[in-house]
Parts: sequence; C-alpha cells; structure tokens
Amino acid sequence: MGTLNLEGVSFRYPGGDAALEDVTLAIPAGRVFGLLGPNGAGKTTLISILAGQLRGATGSIRAGDETLESLRRRRPRCLGLVPQEYAFYPMLTCAENLRFFGGVQGLGGARLKERVAAAVRFARIESVLARRAGRLSGGLKRRLNLAIGLLGEPEILLLDEPTAGVDPQSRAFLLESIRSLAGTDKTIVYTSHYMEEVEAICDHVAIIDHGRVLVSGALSEVIRDGSGLQELFMRLTHRSLRD
Amino acid sequence: MRRLLALWEKECLALSRDVLGLAVLFLMPAAFIVVMSLALSDVFKGGVARQTEFAVMAADPKLAERLAQSLAGDGFRAAPAPADEAAARDGVRRGTPSLVLVVPRDFERALSAPLDGRNTPPKLTLLADPALPPTQLVAFQQRVLGVALGLRVSAMMRQAGLAADADALELRHAATLNVETIGSTGRPSSVQQNVPAWLIFGMFFVVMPISSLFIVERREGTLARMVSQQVPFSLLLLGKVGPYFVVNLAQGALMLLAGRTLVPWLGGETLALPGRWDLLAAVTACTSFAAIGWGLLVAVCSRTLEQATVIGGVGNILAAAVGGIMVPRFVMPEAMQKLSEVSPMAWALDGFHAVILRQGGAADIAAPCVKLLALAAALLAAALWVHHRRRVLTSAQ
Repeated sequence: MGTLNLEGVSFRYPGGDAALEDVTLAIPAGRVFGLLGPNGAGKTTLISILAGQLRGATGSIRAGDETLESLRRRRPRCLGLVPQEYAFYPMLTCAENLRFFGGVQGLGGARLKERVAAAVRFARIESVLARRAGRLSGGLKRRLNLAIGLLGEPEILLLDEPTAGVDPQSRAFLLESIRSLAGTDKTIVYTSHYMEEVEAICDHVAIIDHGRVLVSGALSEVIRDGSGLQELFMRLTHRSLRD
Repeated sequence: MRRLLALWEKECLALSRDVLGLAVLFLMPAAFIVVMSLALSDVFKGGVARQTEFAVMAADPKLAERLAQSLAGDGFRAAPAPADEAAARDGVRRGTPSLVLVVPRDFERALSAPLDGRNTPPKLTLLADPALPPTQLVAFQQRVLGVALGLRVSAMMRQAGLAADADALELRHAATLNVETIGSTGRPSSVQQNVPAWLIFGMFFVVMPISSLFIVERREGTLARMVSQQVPFSLLLLGKVGPYFVVNLAQGALMLLAGRTLVPWLGGETLALPGRWDLLAAVTACTSFAAIGWGLLVAVCSRTLEQATVIGGVGNILAAAVGGIMVPRFVMPEAMQKLSEVSPMAWALDGFHAVILRQGGAADIAAPCVKLLALAAALLAAALWVHHRRRVLTSAQ
C-alpha cells in the first residue's frame, strides 16, 4: 500500500475554530506511528478524518500513489478503526458482536468464520465468546474492541487510546499484540497519553497541539538529545492544564 | 444484502434483550385495549344496552304506574317512586335513580283542556342526574313528551266520542322503524374502536427502542466504527426498518388476538374481524412505515436518551390525544375534530376503521394510506437531511 501521506490537511468544525491546521505527515507502512498531543490537540479529529467519519477537510491524504478515499472505495475493508470508546454492543455476546461487525463489512460464510476465529485467537478472548460484552472486565473489553477492528484484515489500523483504563497485564498484552501487527506490513496509527507506551512500540511519532504538528519523524531522531519523549512533550506543549 | 441482513440480525438480537422495550411495544397496547374496551363498553353501546333508571312521582299512584310503564324500555328502566320530592332530589343527587319525573296534581285535567289561550299545557318537572350523558337526557325528554302527546290525543278523542285505544297512541306503535347501519355487520363497539386505536398507539412507540439503540450506537462509537467500515448511513437506517416493520406486524396480529380472545374472556365484546385481510395488512404496513420514519427522525435529532424519551413520548401522546386514540373523535367538538385531521394517528385510525368497521374497499383506505406513506417518506428524508447537515457522527473535537 505504501506510505500514508497527509499534506496540508486542515479542518474546522461548523461554527468553531480550526481543529487542524495545515497538518503534513508521512506515516510509513509496516510501522507503528505514535500520534501524541494533549487533550483537545486534534488527535481524535485527525483519526476521525482518516476513518471517514468527518467530511470537509481540505488538503490531501494519499495512500501510496492513490488518494485514501479512492483506496477505501476500491477496498472498503482496507481501514480498521479501534475507537477509544468500547465500540460494540453491550447487550450482545462477544461472538455475536464479532459476527455482526464482520457481516456488516460484507464478510459471510466460511470467510466470516475464519476471520472471527483469527481475531479471537489474536485477542485471546476464546473463553468469553458466549458472554455478554457489557459484562466483561475493562481489559477484556479492550481486547474485544481490538479484535473487532482486525476482522476485515485492514492494511491501515487506527488505534485511538486502545489501552485506556486497563490493568498492567492487559496493557502489556495489548502492546505486544499491536507491536506484532506492525510486522505484517500494516500501517498503524496509535494515539495515547502514555509516553512510555509510545516509546515502547512506536517507530515514528508526531506531537500535535492546537491542530498543528509541532514535531514529527522517527522516534530516534525526535528524541536525539536524549531528553526522553515525556520531557520533549512537556517542553513543546507547555505545562498549563488543558481540561 | 449480506450487510443488511447483519444489521437486521443485530437489531433483532438487541431488541430481544430489551425487556422494557418489548413491554412498551406489546404489553402496553394490550393493556390499554383490555382496560379501555371494558371501561368504555357502555358508552359505545349507547342507549340500547345502557340501562338508566327513572321514577315517576304523581299524586295518583295508578297514573304514576301507567306513565312508568309507557316510559320504560329502550334503555330506560322504571324504579320505585321516592316517598316525596325531597327524597327524589336526594336520590337523583346520588344517581339512584338518574331521573325522576314529577307529575302535577291536575295533570290529567290539564291534558283534557283545549289549548286555546286560556289554558296552558301541564307543567311536568324532570329531575336529572348531572352525570347522565346529555343524549340520554334528551332521549328521555322526547319520550316524556311523546307519552304526554299520546294522552292528550286520547283525551281529545274521548271528548269527541271516539273510541281511544291508549296503546295505539304510543309512539312505539305509530310505525315500525328499522335502523340499518350501512357498511357494517353491526354497530361499532368499544372493542372495535379501541383495538385499532391502541394498536396504532403501540406501533408509534417503536420510536423508543429505535431512538434509544441509535443514541447508544452514536455515544458508544459503534456508529462511527460502521461509518469507518464504509457502511452508508442510508443502509444503517434501512437496517432498522426491516426488524421494526416485523415488530409492528406482530403487534397487529397480537392486538387483534387480544380483541378476539382476551377482551371477551374478561367480559367485553368480541372483535368482529374484517372481510378483507389484504386491506388490513396494507393499512398496518403504511402505519408501520410512518411510525418507523418518526422513530428514525427522533433518533437522528436527539442527542441524549432523555431528549428522545421526551420528544418521542410526548409527541406520541399529543398525536394520540388529538387523533382520536384516547378520546373517540365523534365525542369531540367540531373544532377539535378538524384539528384531529392533522394527526397521523387519526389517518391510521381512519384506515383501520374503513376496513374493520365499515368493511370498505381499496378506495376507502387509499387516502389514509397515501398520507401515511407520504409522511414516512418525508420523515426518512428529514432524518437523512439532519444527519447530512450535522456532518459529524462523533462528539470528537
């Protein structure tokens, strides 16, 4: 698929200030790209634009030599989203959720069974398939959320704070899993507030604030001075409270 | 098609686990049908089956008895005369009996006197319970005047030396009058009014489960996830139409069953079934589309469950109050009857009545069906337009 290139992407909510201004990023294929920023910086807006939920952004987004929009029209399952909410139906069982989200992507029959089985194996949720999703622990909910995002074997995976509110064991498992996905030539965009997570699994990062890119590049280049990502982040975005 | 089937299956599973939603859709209209059919059964039977007690007070007990015999019948039943007028007034105030006719002492003499300016007609007094329906009161008044006229004619014939048969001069013997209700197998009954009325009310309550699940989908990010998977918004809406259409048809079948079995089992009348099931299905389908369209618009417009509950619930109750669901339109004043024509529930009720009460044909249901379908299309278009205007599906900023 090639690098995901964003050039001069800007977006403004109706009646509001600019949420993104002239964002230019190169997100390489087969890598985990960390997108960092304080609350309200524009991370989720950028993820939403990439996922096709928000329309009206200016600039260009290209996947290799074609626009992301045309790639998605051609291969509707090329992009997977794991939102920060538990984006599944709490009243359905895990198996029913997986079957539904597979079916709604056009998967059916043996192919659907195969994809559900693969996603279940990957997220290690075999033992809770018959349980209602709303009754799972926080860690299991995050794993189900991730499994659903992988059903369509997406080439681009957007992970919006996928480890929020989970215990250290589940976090370690999720980080390992995400890291292993990058090796399968997927392009992974990962947003998080946890700097140590980003340092652990991301090859490339970008720090954005007030809708603008403050710094971007390979992780090793960005923290070349040895100060660490946390210190760089605080220096660039300042210490004032955002919430 | 595979995606649509997945959406339908999800909607059915979610609804099957929403006990409260199912209770609103099925138990609520069934309960209303039973309670209202039984409660209003006398009102719909009118003067024929409703027995109103009356008494006649006269100085001459034989005259009182003769008048009571002449006035009894057609829903009016004679009761023993009170001891005096004070007791009569006290009894009427309590509603037992509902009517007391007070006959003056010189009643028979006054009837015999010619009406020539020097004599005035005898002055009867009728004491009436204020809770008595006005139509009952008017019917009894006409009955009293009819009996008085018969007695006057009888007296005049006697004065003229002609043989006067008192029975022959009673109104009921003047002629035989057959009342034929056109287009119906019988009189509209309480159950025939209430089954379609509360069925329509229940059908429009799909607004609750449709909007609540939709708002949860938007709030929890499942809608955003589906949009990211290139599922068109129109397909998402269509995914809700199929299951709720089936739910509405099931409501129709079960409410008819309640009218056929539950209401008579509890002492009410049995619902008379229509001759044309295809027309009944057509009216049910058109009502269903309008109800689902309303549910989708409320779902798209409401940002919270509370908003959806208020808009959907209050909207339904107002439409039912205006549209003749809660209060039959024939008892409304003319201005309200005109106003009721704006309620989609009134259009639906017209369609059901055309089939169930009047045994009408396709032409009789055409107007209400066209109105309901036009409304459904307008509501669906409005839902798509509102969604398009908002552009954003998530609360992300």
